[in-house]
Amino acid sequence: MSSAVQTAPTATTPTPTPVPTAARERRRRKGGIIAAVAAYLITFLVLLPIVWIVLLSFQSSSKILSNPLDLSSLSLTNYVHALTSLPLAQMYGNTILLAVVSVTIGTAISFMVSFALTRMIFRRRRVQSALRFYLLAGLAVPVYILLFPVYRLDLAIGVFGSYAALIIPYVGVSIPFNTLLLTGFLRDLPSEIEEAAIIDGAGLSRLIWSVVLPVMRPVIATVLIFNVVYVFNEFPFASILINNPDMVTVSLAVSQFQGQYSIDYGGMMAAATLVLIPQLVIYAIFQKQVIAGMTVGAVKG
Amino acid sequence: MVWLSSRWRIALMVAPAIIVFTGLIVYPVIYSAGYSLTDFAGFGDPVFVGLKNYIDLWNDPFFWSSLRNTLIILVVSIVVLVPSSFGLALLLRRRFPGGGALRALVFAPAIIAPILIGLIWVFILDPKIGMLNHFLGWLGLPQPEWIGGNVLTPYSVALVFIWSSVGFAMTIFYAGLQQLPGDVIEASSLDGASGWKQLLYVTVPLMKESFAIASVLLITNVFKIFELVYVLTNGGPVHRSETLVSYMYFITFTNQQYGSGMALAVIITVLGAVVSLAYLLVLRGRKSE
Repeated sequence: MSSAVQTAPTATTPTPTPVPTAARERRRRKGGIIAAVAAYLITFLVLLPIVWIVLLSFQSSSKILSNPLDLSSLSLTNYVHALTSLPLAQMYGNTILLAVVSVTIGTAISFMVSFALTRMIFRRRRVQSALRFYLLAGLAVPVYILLFPVYRLDLAIGVFGSYAALIIPYVGVSIPFNTLLLTGFLRDLPSEIEEAAIIDGAGLSRLIWSVVLPVMRPVIATVLIFNVVYVFNEFPFASILINNPDMVTVSLAVSQFQGQYSIDYGGMMAAATLVLIPQLVIYAIFQKQVIAGMTVGAVKG
Repeated sequence: MVWLSSRWRIALMVAPAIIVFTGLIVYPVIYSAGYSLTDFAGFGDPVFVGLKNYIDLWNDPFFWSSLRNTLIILVVSIVVLVPSSFGLALLLRRRFPGGGALRALVFAPAIIAPILIGLIWVFILDPKIGMLNHFLGWLGLPQPEWIGGNVLTPYSVALVFIWSSVGFAMTIFYAGLQQLPGDVIEASSLDGASGWKQLLYVTVPLMKESFAIASVLLITNVFKIFELVYVLTNGGPVHRSETLVSYMYFITFTNQQYGSGMALAVIITVLGAVVSLAYLLVLRGRKSE
């Protein structure tokens, strides 16, 4: 690398303005190396807490209390403990069930309303934009104001403590953000193909299934990923609306670590790692889509 | 698409989302606002008490300390996060081996469940079992009470929030940098602007909207901090480290003072709405450009 930097000035001497260009080039390269090193260092620091938890999960509980920095005697004992006491299959099964049902319903009804609000022709156009604004205003509502009313609602309709108790609010909470992304995408989408399909005699359902949905695949993927991440991370609703230990979700199980493993810190770390790793693996698979979706959401507002 | 837009077809497409949204978002907000004016305790008939719950909160020292903590987290987070994540985006914009992987890795904490983030940081910040104090002790330095004490807890929560959000904010800035008009930067380079000058007088002004979006998203996220406090300190000692949301959770669900909890929920919503309105105004300003 350094030899390349040194040979740069001699190589560029014949050009009309040699010195400043060469100097700037050299400075740029040096800056590039420093930037790369700094970026690696910062990333390492950001990942350090995660690495630390994984390391500690191999440490015995007494060591964690006395001298956590001594990593000389690591073992798998904690994992044996965690795997036997943590309802892994149950909590993942419950969370996946909740995610599949609520995300499917939420995305479907958000798509329907977004399609109607951007593509169909209302007799009064004002109603159309008013409805869109009505749904988007939901973005400003924090979920915490919903907790107690939804709890009472669940009790009133008799679903408290069941899967439906969580599916209903998860669907509701997902509508504003989904509508924001989907209407934003549909507005930018040219409608010529759809018009052609209608002229060719496509009905509404045919139009949606064969023409619109295929074009919308990327934005729908983004919506699905964001909603699934939400359901996996959601804690406040789950902590209030679920009272049955068989229905524990991933987040609820994590919150119970502290109670269950009040002395067994090693077991707690192993349990945390067992939850952390699948999340990171799923993220690794979908990271391009997650980051692209976040960018669309942030830039389009 | 006129002949597909019959009245019943529109109604069929619009109704499910509007009904669910009204029932689960709009109705609860109105419900909460109504109950915040009563002495409801979870059972029996609520009695209208006017603004009593709001006045009680005004006189409640824990309300003020949780507001203070929330504001400390807000100020520390914004002051540290905005420049550092922008700087990180500038670093990661350069091309070098593994750059794409670093961008993905830095974002990773943003997808970890907040409750798990809290748990991870207990093992770093806890005064007794945390790595940080063991490390400081090993260096012979004082070992402060990072969490659970009266002083440092909000700063520690801010640190954890910064950790979990830096990749998120960086990604917004990175997206903004990608959209910069390349020729303007080029021209300023040819005019002799370079390094800090170029950054300060060319890049930053062009990035105004990215700064606005990142700041507003971070501000609204700070108002949502709950799980971190719940896991790190559970609000203790004696509510000294509560945030607005964690204190509202305590009043409503642990103490079962629903009327009072709803009053606090309304206050949080109004604060959030004010910020969100500012966000919408910023976006409006951008669209008219």
